[in-house]
Amino acid sequence: MFIDQEKCSGCGICLPYCPAGAIKLVGKKAVVDRELCLECGNCGRKQVVRCPKDAFVEEPGLYEGVRAVRKFFSDPATTHKVTRIPGRGTEEVKTNDVTGRVRRGEIGLALEMGRPCLGTSMQEVQRVTMALAAHGVVFEENNPLTHLMSDRKTGAISTEYLKEKVVSVIIEFTDRAERLPLLLETIRKVARELDTVFSLDLIACFEDDGSLPVLETLNQLGMKPRPNAKINLGIGRPPAPLYREGGPCR
Amino acid sequence: MTHSLHRRGSPESLRDDYVLLATAAAGVNHEGSKDKLRRVLEIVYEEEPANVGSYETGTIYAGVSMEDIKASLAEVPRVRCCFSSREKMKRVLQRVKEMDLGISITVSGLIDEVLEMARELGIKPHSINLSLDIWGKKEELPSEEVLEFVTMCGHGLISKDLVEKCIADVRSGKRTPRQAAELIARPCVCGIFNPDRAENLLARYAPPGQEGEQ
Repeated sequence: MFIDQEKCSGCGICLPYCPAGAIKLVGKKAVVDRELCLECGNCGRKQVVRCPKDAFVEEPGLYEGVRAVRKFFSDPATTHKVTRIPGRGTEEVKTNDVTGRVRRGEIGLALEMGRPCLGTSMQEVQRVTMALAAHGVVFEENNPLTHLMSDRKTGAISTEYLKEKVVSVIIEFTDRAERLPLLLETIRKVARELDTVFSLDLIACFEDDGSLPVLETLNQLGMKPRPNAKINLGIGRPPAPLYREGGPCR
Repeated sequence: MTHSLHRRGSPESLRDDYVLLATAAAGVNHEGSKDKLRRVLEIVYEEEPANVGSYETGTIYAGVSMEDIKASLAEVPRVRCCFSSREKMKRVLQRVKEMDLGISITVSGLIDEVLEMARELGIKPHSINLSLDIWGKKEELPSEEVLEFVTMCGHGLISKDLVEKCIADVRSGKRTPRQAAELIARPCVCGIFNPDRAENLLARYAPPGQEGEQ
């Protein structure tokens, strides 16, 4: 995004809205620092900032080339071409009752890199994907990040994207429930080296009696989930099978 | 990701804050589902949500009408909204369940409260997305008071600067808690930011006597 300097009145109304702090007043005009800008589109939405001079302009060619990564991983109003899902990840637990993405005996893990507040570079994302890939994690096909990888087996992201920075990237995968301790230990180790933060999600299915076996595993690890969560009520149709054919996935 | 499982704050401040997501699954049941989602939207609107919006239009707090939201449902349609009342949330779920649309529904909120509501409605939840908190360079984060607001946005579009400015405006009496809450709500495009909860949180900063002013 940039600001038409002819139109800008320098009122500064836009400054606090930028989640990346990329808008500054220089002289008597507002300018966007192109390096800091994550292309979330916030400032350009007429119903958000309400710039009295309508001075925000989207960069020509933004949806093509390397910088498009910023747009697709920062602006939820865009839809990734491959997944057809707006935003940065899959439908995770939202449609799990019909997709069967995570089934009994399995866990789904998602690391929302850069959330809250700090954003993330793709370089930081790669630190985590490579640490997880070393343990044989299979990254979610229906997640745009997976399609930026040059080697899914090592978790390497194509080098041209590594310097790009975005509001957030979601590293998602499904695995066998018994591997949760190993995966959380891997995540704990790599988290110490990061120059950003991530929010950690754990998806699991309820048993017939309403219990969640994964809670016992977390308890043994000395971990307690937060008291609030997102719950799939199981009223979607057609229902996915509760168990994966051939046993839990890898 | 909508991030609704990662809302920060005390259990008390998270009570009476429910996020409802109705989602057609891409490649599974999304074809022909727009009318079903429109019916969900109608029910949601009749039960007076705290907020509702869509990726395509923005939210009612950005000046978008319910008709705009209904008219612009995407190829893979979805409904995003939140409620500040357990009774309203429960009525929506009951009505959606009775319509048997086959659309996946998630509710985010305090786990015990959501599960209790499901039990009362005869619903057996399928799966859960638990929040295992924030990891990494947490020392770079703003204060918990600011995080309570920014984590109500599903996509990280509410800046800490806007929250800090609004808290300062409430402290100085320049804005009421409600005015500040509605200003913070604007950047959230999907409609899960709860301005009622934000107003309650902001009332802590209001000068004496102005905590509940509109």
